Amino acid sequence: MSETPGAGTDARPPPPRRRALTRVADLGAAAQASIPAIYAWGMTVAPAAWSRGAPALAKVTALLGVAAVAGAAVAERAYPRWARIVSVWGLVVTSVATWALASTAMTPARLDVARGVLGAAGWMFFAFASSAPPVRRREEDGERILDGPPLKPRGLLPRLDSLYLGGAVVVALGMIAIGWRVTSPERGVLVRLVSLASGLAVVGAATEIALARHAPRVKDRPRVRLRRGTATLVLLLVLAGLGAVVLLTR
Amino acid sequence: MHLVDVLALVVLVIGAVAFVLGGLALARSADLEALYWLVVGVVGVRASVQMVRPAKG
Repeated sequence: MSETPGAGTDARPPPPRRRALTRVADLGAAAQASIPAIYAWGMTVAPAAWSRGAPALAKVTALLGVAAVAGAAVAERAYPRWARIVSVWGLVVTSVATWALASTAMTPARLDVARGVLGAAGWMFFAFASSAPPVRRREEDGERILDGPPLKPRGLLPRLDSLYLGGAVVVALGMIAIGWRVTSPERGVLVRLVSLASGLAVVGAATEIALARHAPRVKDRPRVRLRRGTATLVLLLVLAGLGAVVLLTR
Repeated sequence: MHLVDVLALVVLVIGAVAFVLGGLALARSADLEALYWLVVGVVGVRASVQMVRPAKG
């Protein structure tokens, strides 16, 4: 009877990503709560501290909040009880001070609803993570979730495919950044929506190109494929010519 | 990799650049220019996909 490949004791060390997750599971409550804390800080405190017209003291109190969270995470092993108090109260007190100092940023006209809702969710997760006992990895769970022999991937993603998708994702993220610099809120929403749709189109096309390289069926001849795209290519050339004409006659 | 694959990739890059230029024009409130670049982007992306996608059926 042949043995399934990969069955039995796997003596290899866990991959780096798994090791990082294991380390997170070994952290204390304050350190685990620091992740939603920084998220909540980034959504609700930092925008107020760095808003137009906010005093320098607001930035100092905001940074003190981050220092409290980071300090508690680092010192938790030595001082577990004090770390949690410093993490919770340090962030709360400095955040309240920041909002009080930069009160103009908290007016309803300047408060972004989506950011406010996401920030409230962040504070809720911070409160939950701070009050709950730390999530520990159980030894009996081992490194695996499913029973049976470890599942092996059928193949690795070719490097060229990763390049296609990575490039498309970078372009899509760059497009999203355009909308955040627009001062008018209505125009900003429009730019963000258009940029999001454009980014998705680029990622979708890059995925199609990457997948087409591994199509199981027999590929068409290059001449047939070129003929299929001729009409659209001609349209593209017409548009390029039109743009050149407009540019020259300006 | 055939020449048509390279062409598809080049056209995709042209489409992506056109989308970025369209977004920038839209942010500047140059709506007509933005419309032009976005149409170029859509056509470019469409052309690249048509050249690589296997025929249906």
